[in-house]
Amino acid sequence: MKEIDELNLPGDIYYSKEHEWAAKEGEVIRIGISDYAQDQLGDIVFVELPEPGSSFERNEEFGTLESVKAVSEIYIPVSGEIVAVNNALEDAPELLNEDPYDNWIVEVRPTDIDQYDELLSRDDYVAMLKG
Amino acid sequence: MSVSKKLSTTVLHPFHLERNAHMAEFGGYDMPLWYSSGTKAEHLAVISQAGLFDTSHMAVIIVEGSGAFDLLQHSFTRDLRYCQGRSVGPLSDGRSVYGLFLHSDGTVLDDAIISRCGAERYMIVVNSGMGAGVCTHLREFSDGEVNLVDCTDELGKIDLQGPASAAILQKLLSDPEQVLADMHYFSFRGDIFAGGSESLELKDGIKVIVSRTGYTGEFGFELFTAKVDARDLWNKLLDAGQSYGLLPCGLAARDSLRAGAMLPLSHQDIGNWLFGHTPWSFVLPWDPDGQRWTKSFVGSQQLLQGDRDYTYGFAGYDPRKIQVGEASEVQDISGRRFGRILTCTTDMAIGRVEDQIVSIATPTSRGRPDSFQARGLSCGFVRVDRPCEPGEQIFLVEGKRKLKVEIRKDIRPDRTARAPMARMRLS
Repeated sequence: MKEIDELNLPGDIYYSKEHEWAAKEGEVIRIGISDYAQDQLGDIVFVELPEPGSSFERNEEFGTLESVKAVSEIYIPVSGEIVAVNNALEDAPELLNEDPYDNWIVEVRPTDIDQYDELLSRDDYVAMLKG
Repeated sequence: MSVSKKLSTTVLHPFHLERNAHMAEFGGYDMPLWYSSGTKAEHLAVISQAGLFDTSHMAVIIVEGSGAFDLLQHSFTRDLRYCQGRSVGPLSDGRSVYGLFLHSDGTVLDDAIISRCGAERYMIVVNSGMGAGVCTHLREFSDGEVNLVDCTDELGKIDLQGPASAAILQKLLSDPEQVLADMHYFSFRGDIFAGGSESLELKDGIKVIVSRTGYTGEFGFELFTAKVDARDLWNKLLDAGQSYGLLPCGLAARDSLRAGAMLPLSHQDIGNWLFGHTPWSFVLPWDPDGQRWTKSFVGSQQLLQGDRDYTYGFAGYDPRKIQVGEASEVQDISGRRFGRILTCTTDMAIGRVEDQIVSIATPTSRGRPDSFQARGLSCGFVRVDRPCEPGEQIFLVEGKRKLKVEIRKDIRPDRTARAPMARMRLS
């Protein structure tokens, strides 16, 4: 298990309390899970992705991750429509363990961009992890 | 990292912390779930090379005295007169047998491996935290001609599991031929306890018991040694195993390996309910015709009279799981709720090729395509209120998640636990 100061937590993206990350890429927001989340889950063996075109409200469950030990829901940190899913994860879910930032899960077209700015900065996220 | 004061630790606990293992409570101990290589790599290592497990949390009891045999005959589900080998002979010195201790009401106190060290001397291995409870239970039925000693806190226990286990262990033995040749499944060598007869020392003088048993379904050994020698033994095994790809393994891999091998977890798959129709009915003292029992024992009357339910193994069609708990249930094809999930995990070494389950260890001649890559299948055990046939499809349900799985008599094929020693020594 990684200590908090060993975690890879980039400063140029935002985080949610449920350990997702969000990064603005032009008109869309990419969403994935943080290094803390993948370390806690252990080996991820299955990723259940939403249908492109489906819409979710902020903090709604949009998919599941399965590790060897547990099933975990993933929650959308901003409301919006799924415009793309990372299909590579279906064949190689371990990519989320190998690099949780290069390997995003979905791209969302947000309905309220203010929600993005309400997410946690790296420092806020680290403070939350330290409790 | 902090450890709650209430949790016990094994003698190898410092190693787990040094290696940054992901730790969790199990059976009252702070134990490693996985190390940095991850559960999948650990699970696969045990099937294709070898893995090393700290199992010092398991409890060990010595039963000795002129009343030892009678006490175990009365309290253990196996008949020690008819339990060994294909000829179903009596348990002899150096041999071990798996079975259960039941409460008087037919519910399961714990499962156990009993090893015969001598005519009046037996070693019992039970589960984590169960040493005191099993001792108390046995004393209740003892006539006083028996001495019971819980040795758990004096010992280290290390499991070396996987096809390369013999090759690795050989490097530490001063006379591998004498120890390993003709060593059958469920037999052991050595005695490390006070008053023990046959001593077995490694090259460097560490006294051990080498037992050809385990909890992974794969070929390997359980090694017992004095607590003071356990870290030394652990490190020597890791060194000896380096060139064989030996990995330290945590409880997550132990759980997924044992589930794929159809082995129950005590207090989860068997437990404080009437021992019913299960894949483990071989623990009962059947006569050679399988018609009746050869002895009565603690709990046997209730088993014969009680209304028993049905436990089955299952395997899914992909790695997805349903979490065990109050929120999940088992449904039949018509949607009727008819049971609960006991264990649900993922065996990472298997996958489906058409109608067949194939393991990474399955030879290509028996159906494994050259290009086979295991994605894993969910597997485990369910407890239901009616009989099922192998192949019947049932559903594991939790809220809106619904997983189709198949009742199975066996799960991971081509396991090595019973493979001939001569072949495994060449692995």
